[in-house]
Amino acid sequence: MNAGERLTDANFPAHPEKATLEGKNKFVGFWLFLGGETVLFATLFGTYLGLRNMHLDGPSGEELFSLPLVFLATMLLLTSSLTSVYAVLSLKQNKVRSLQGWFIVTLLLGLGFLGLEIYEFIHYVHEGHTFTSSAFGSAFYTLVGFHGGHVLFGILWISTLLARNWNRGITLANAPKYYLFALYWHFVDVVWVFIFTVVYLMGKVG
Amino acid sequence: MADHHKTTEPTVHRHEEIQRKLALKEERKHHNVSFVMMILLTIVAFFAIWSDKISDSFAVIFILTLAVVQVFFQLYIWMHLSHKGHDFPIWGMASGVLVAAITVASLMGMIWTS
Repeated sequence: MNAGERLTDANFPAHPEKATLEGKNKFVGFWLFLGGETVLFATLFGTYLGLRNMHLDGPSGEELFSLPLVFLATMLLLTSSLTSVYAVLSLKQNKVRSLQGWFIVTLLLGLGFLGLEIYEFIHYVHEGHTFTSSAFGSAFYTLVGFHGGHVLFGILWISTLLARNWNRGITLANAPKYYLFALYWHFVDVVWVFIFTVVYLMGKVG
Repeated sequence: MADHHKTTEPTVHRHEEIQRKLALKEERKHHNVSFVMMILLTIVAFFAIWSDKISDSFAVIFILTLAVVQVFFQLYIWMHLSHKGHDFPIWGMASGVLVAAITVASLMGMIWTS
């Protein structure tokens, strides 16, 4: 069977994301990538934890951070993680329209999160907390900004993936791509769980 | 024999399909439960800091524990690590987490002692 052929309910495999060798390779390779990303973020977290109290004359985290804003951002990202898992359930049932719908909701929630983060950063810069203001500033923007960059990359990834495959249905070629995007998106949420805990909540208790 | 074949095959197929549907329904239920759990864990973590009722040092350990629990929900239920055929991903992530822990500890140590 041609991997680009639209799957029907009759020939739909139990695991379309791993039905081809290419799909299996992508699955294994992507998990290896996520293991590496864990280490990458660990270097940024370690640096932040070491430098978080060195804010010189600038405002400290305790003065800067606004928990209601962070809570809202957390809820947006958490819900987008749920909608992307719903998209994977649609994928397993060969429901391409519902998959597209859930991924669009994921995309919109991701954009909402990114909007809040940009608003937050602009606000901080006005308060005198910039990338060059102190070691705390550099460590903060590197860590949180790198996560925001991952969200932005995910938004671009799912947009192009949806646009490219809009009329193709679910095929053995695109099923692994949808599946891996959902994994990536969950991972971005995993990193955020540690950011809101380590950066914002721990920042409030000093 | 041929007749027999014709009558059983669709039933077998339908039986498999019903099982698959039930499994998916079960999976959806797990996803919903873990979503509610994660929302609750988040609210508890924020409340612990917001309310200012527990001591700071205990609050830090408490919210870090909540974060680890929440990440387990993400990895095992939403990222399907609990499913069959995930031995390699589990090893990959476990070694990633191990190196990550050493990295965080040593970076913090280096900065503090310098």
